[in-house]
Amino acid sequence: MFYHPSSKKIKNTNPIIFVHGTGMDHTVWTLPVRHFLRKKKDVLAIDLPGHGNNKDKALSSIPNIADYIFTFLDKNSISNFSIVGHSMGSLIGLEMASKQPERVNALSMIGTAFPMQVNDALLDSAKNNSQIAIDILTFMGYSYSSRIGGNKNPGIWMTESTKRLMQKSGKGVIYKDLKACADFNDGLDKARRVQANVQLILGSNDYLTPKFKAKDLIQAFKNPVVEEIKGSGHSLMMEEPNKVLEYLKKLFKD
Amino acid sequence: MKKPKDLNLDTLSLHAGSKPDSDFGARATPIYQTSSFIFPDSDTAAGIFNNEMAGHVYSRITNPTNAVLEERISSLEGGIGSISTASGQAALFLAITTILGKNSHIVASKSLYGGSHNLLEYTLPRFGIRTSFVDFRKPKLVKGAIQKNTGLLFGETLGNPGLDVMNIELISNIAHKNKLPLLVDSTFTTPYLMKPFDLGADLVFHSATKFLSGHGVVIGGLLVDSGKFDWSSNGLFKTLNEPYKGFHDMKFVDEFGPSAFINRARKEGARDFGACMSPHTAFLILQGLETLSLRMEKHISNTRQIVDFLSTHEEVKSVSYPELSDHPDYDLAKKILPRGSGAVFTFEIKGGYESGKKFIESLNIFSHLANVGDAKSLVIHPASTTHHRMDKAALRKAGVTENTVRLSVGIEDIDDLKEDLQEALKQANR
Repeated sequence: MFYHPSSKKIKNTNPIIFVHGTGMDHTVWTLPVRHFLRKKKDVLAIDLPGHGNNKDKALSSIPNIADYIFTFLDKNSISNFSIVGHSMGSLIGLEMASKQPERVNALSMIGTAFPMQVNDALLDSAKNNSQIAIDILTFMGYSYSSRIGGNKNPGIWMTESTKRLMQKSGKGVIYKDLKACADFNDGLDKARRVQANVQLILGSNDYLTPKFKAKDLIQAFKNPVVEEIKGSGHSLMMEEPNKVLEYLKKLFKD
Repeated sequence: MKKPKDLNLDTLSLHAGSKPDSDFGARATPIYQTSSFIFPDSDTAAGIFNNEMAGHVYSRITNPTNAVLEERISSLEGGIGSISTASGQAALFLAITTILGKNSHIVASKSLYGGSHNLLEYTLPRFGIRTSFVDFRKPKLVKGAIQKNTGLLFGETLGNPGLDVMNIELISNIAHKNKLPLLVDSTFTTPYLMKPFDLGADLVFHSATKFLSGHGVVIGGLLVDSGKFDWSSNGLFKTLNEPYKGFHDMKFVDEFGPSAFINRARKEGARDFGACMSPHTAFLILQGLETLSLRMEKHISNTRQIVDFLSTHEEVKSVSYPELSDHPDYDLAKKILPRGSGAVFTFEIKGGYESGKKFIESLNIFSHLANVGDAKSLVIHPASTTHHRMDKAALRKAGVTENTVRLSVGIEDIDDLKEDLQEALKQANR
């Protein structure tokens, strides 16, 4: 499995593991990864199978992806860790934190909801013509205001950058990701089993995982911390990178 | 499922990249005329310097006014990001030096703006970057010119001065088969007439001095990255694939993926070469961009009418414009430039060198100067100005004769422009 920074020794560490969402890769985490590295924390931003530099075949269920990551962690003797997941990555984090709760110190779910419903028409588009699915996911993935720009990160046009990342993912990968999100079940029971410190970072203008759809999930966790970013859509790390980092720093007491 | 409706060019050219000022509610983009930006605390300063937080440090590298312009041109071109530079030449230099260095090679079209030609032919070889100039209308020559150390293909959407229409699809296919990027100078066309990324280009730059601004009051450049080229596919691009000592061993491809190029260009080129655009210039270019569609529509309409007028004029020997059926790229222009083939073209006046000079000196509305893309109509006689060092043979090779006149058609009243041309043509051979 590819992870960034690939030059770092990871054996026997207790890292923060960053898990990206549908059609994305590790580069969505570049800013927070750089922060925690500067603070001498162990961090790993992984590429899920079929994404970015990970040439393994994409998997189509959240539990299978979680098992895939567990296998990688076991091979590297990583017993305890924290997870930061965005969108699909947040469900993977939830699955891992409920399956082996004793191993997970903290869980941050960014841009999340349960159930994470996916429209049938979008699934069909992803199956038949992934460019339309990419266009829809990008369109819905940003707040109206962010679609016009005003990026905090100077000179980068957000929506096209997101499209380009998704275009990099292999054939059928976006469909598998979306299907994995749609099929993920027992989320509330799983949330109840989590022992880790839980944080949810939600965008007030998220059209893909609207904040009201995270309500049941919030109630199922024990004492979760909910952080809302006003005005942000679903692409919180692009739209509000500094606020996301601020909340992650809070979670990891940095 | 239908494709969602993204905002169109006319809307983006007014809004992209800008948000109403949150402090005072200013609707226009404020001019952040400041060299540097205050850090609220030491940790934030360290965070921004370390590229773990978004923010501004110093206006040579980024500035909020420039950032609006950079997003705007990215949105209009369909790119992922851009950098504003001191001039179009600075944008070209930045594009090349971000990926190439000593012992590298460029394959460029032989039909280039003189300034670009000078940079490639005379200046860059001093830094170990050499260029082969070939006819981009001949794909075999392009393929044949690619060497082991070639790192870039480069041409203009509309070549200078003969308006060669670049077959971007064809040239980009050749580039990509050789794992090379294609850089395109899109100054003459602007995103209103053509979007080179849709046809396969990887990088685009503009002299924003020209049509993007329209007012002719600033010098500026814009370099735009499509984010489509796979920089990890070719070991030649060491600046993007190997740790960069100048930024904490950053490996740009690993940390930025599709935006590796534009990030390196900013973190190295904008920082070290320092050819930045002033925020005031960025503001003025933004004012120009707001009316890009309106101006381009009028530029094209006026150009087409003047091309018709001159084509049938008894004092005119020939007119070169891609929309004329005798132009070598007539079919290609119809296909990839349906909205028009730009507002700059050349014609040959009857008589010789003296007729050309006399014609220009007799014009009143057309301004005699070395620029194009102004809202005001412009004219130049290449043989006595931009190409005056060339002998007849060299002029012929460059597609220029002693009686070639170049016009950049503005947006004045068409009848006034025709009358000005008519009177000057009368004077030319008297």
